[in-house]
Amino acid sequence: MADSFLHLARPLGPVSVGTAPTTAPLNVVIQPQAVFAILDHSLRRNADQERVIGTLLGTRSEDGGEVEVRSAFAVGHSEAEDQVEVDMEYHKQMLALHLKANPREVLVGWYATASELNTFSALIQNFYSGQGDGTWPHPAVHLTVSTEAGKDLETRAYISAPVGVTAERAADSAAFIPVPYELRYGEADKSGLEAIANAKDTEERSTSIATDVEALERAIEEVLAMIDRVSRYVESVIDEEAPASTAMGQFLLNALALAPKVEPADIEKDFNNHIQDVLVVSYLANTIRTQMELSNRLATAQLTLGGGESTGAEGQRNQRGGKGGRPRQDRAPEEARA
Amino acid sequence: MAEAQAPLAAVKVEALVVMKIIKHCNQTFPTTATGALVGMDVEGTLEITNSFPFPVVEMPTESHFDNAAPNPAASAPRVKANAAYQAEMIRMVREVNVDANNVGWYTSANMGNFVNMNVIENQFFYQKDMNERTVALVHDVSRSAQGSLSLRAFRLSAKFVEAFKDNKFNSEELQKSGLRYQDIFDELPVEIHNSHLITSFIHQLQCPKSSGPSDLPPSLSALEASPFTKSNVFSPNFDNLSLSIDPYLEKNCDLLLDSIENHNTEVNNYQYYQRVLGREQQKINNWKQKRTQENATRAALKQPLLPEDEWQRLFKLPAEPSRLESMLNTRQVDQFSRQVDAFVSATTGKMFAVKGNLLPGEVAK
Repeated sequence: MADSFLHLARPLGPVSVGTAPTTAPLNVVIQPQAVFAILDHSLRRNADQERVIGTLLGTRSEDGGEVEVRSAFAVGHSEAEDQVEVDMEYHKQMLALHLKANPREVLVGWYATASELNTFSALIQNFYSGQGDGTWPHPAVHLTVSTEAGKDLETRAYISAPVGVTAERAADSAAFIPVPYELRYGEADKSGLEAIANAKDTEERSTSIATDVEALERAIEEVLAMIDRVSRYVESVIDEEAPASTAMGQFLLNALALAPKVEPADIEKDFNNHIQDVLVVSYLANTIRTQMELSNRLATAQLTLGGGESTGAEGQRNQRGGKGGRPRQDRAPEEARA
Repeated sequence: MAEAQAPLAAVKVEALVVMKIIKHCNQTFPTTATGALVGMDVEGTLEITNSFPFPVVEMPTESHFDNAAPNPAASAPRVKANAAYQAEMIRMVREVNVDANNVGWYTSANMGNFVNMNVIENQFFYQKDMNERTVALVHDVSRSAQGSLSLRAFRLSAKFVEAFKDNKFNSEELQKSGLRYQDIFDELPVEIHNSHLITSFIHQLQCPKSSGPSDLPPSLSALEASPFTKSNVFSPNFDNLSLSIDPYLEKNCDLLLDSIENHNTEVNNYQYYQRVLGREQQKINNWKQKRTQENATRAALKQPLLPEDEWQRLFKLPAEPSRLESMLNTRQVDQFSRQVDAFVSATTGKMFAVKGNLLPGEVAK
């Protein structure tokens, strides 16, 4: 996807005495949430805007060598021929709001939804990496996600080094240095991504959430398809249609060796024990449910017994919450249903 | 929102929101996480297009039930400070063209244990104070870890809101309204919706992996290091095939036991109330009898009669405990047992499959 480049860690920027220079990190890890947020923002840009920008938030490893981009929020900006305006006030307020809810995340950089790097990019980059509000002394990460219609999405990550001959020029120039990045999702994100991916081939781009059994079915189908593929390959190797590979053979052998060797009798026993456990739990759970429902029903049904008491017409004294309501014959169907 | 609109029939959640909720809920797991949802109501389908988490603030609970949870996050959605936070956040996102209507809130759950006072009060607060057309999204972290995503949308039923408003939960009122535990929540179907860009992003992530390798790997280690042996997220989650069911069942049993305990407490409370009530009524009856006798004697002696309704001042009947708690508890148990059912159905299938594979003799040979 990205262009290939060689990334060397080296000190960045002018080393001023006293402050420890940051050696260039950086491995950038992007969580899918951030990408989704960026894509969402890109969809919601004003019609006349070429690109939109926003702030990236995340965490930084202790030595600053790895930056994890966890979330992003949009920041309004406008670009004209010769000037760019970023709503810094908005950025600050939003950052404050965001940090309130996510105290562990820090500002790590910014994103733009076009691959182009220009003078404005440098200006904004210098703002984000500056002292005070910026990420200084750490370098700010700049992420570009191209969202041009009809082309592949292209993600690139950069950090910058100051360049510029004179002080005036330094403000709007920066050398963007590409850094490697990685899209990483946690265990927990997996189930969500899977559900989202289910919608990828449907016309209306939406899907309902699968139940456990449906998910199981899909997983099994997938495994069967994989086994089919492997056996096709093995057959074609045997028929000398496909080139054989020792590594592949070894790999398959290892996989096959994973199948446990157990006595059928043991399996039978374990299986029966286990399935009984499972069924007992299920049975008990349902019994509890019925019991509770019954108890609740009876608590209200008993009132009908007391119906006689408050009117004084029927002799049966039931002290249980006798405030009466329905006639007594209602009770039978009520209990029958419970 | 006009009253004439059709009732909410479905919830459509953007992929972004799904991911944001998962992230937030997992970060704070096992404590409860809550946040706000923004989006749009399009002809009965609530489209949730963005979300943001609530900050956790320490605050005095203003709940009118004294058993408010000690966890501040759980009640966050109805705290004043958060209402301000939410308003501020919505004002901010409006500037970047995000749908800026408040459409509800989300919470995390652990094994479906979300049926409690907090959720009820939050949703009640939303439906009453903010906007009638709001939902509560419940993301079950533990169940999602089992393999398939668990995200459900709930609303309080109109009947329940009516009862809750006046706190009508004694037996008499319940009988009159016919409110049962099944009627507390209305569940809405949840759909996940992707934008075009996300669709293309997902396709792109998958493409390089699905195209087969042209050259065979030179060695075993090279093969193991290649991306093909790493699992692909977008394929079905193979955690589903895992046979380790004990922790799950154990957890479920624990939760069920807790519920039984709660139920017992409630029942005991109620029985105590009944005993006290019985005693009081006994006293009243005795008093009435005494008064009647006294009046009979007075009548015989031609003295003025004593009033017969004085007992209303002398004795006070105990207030009936609210049945809401036990209703919720029943709903919760219902939830658990359904969960167990669903789980068991999947597990038995898996187990028979494993058995069939490990004992091929029964089938093939």
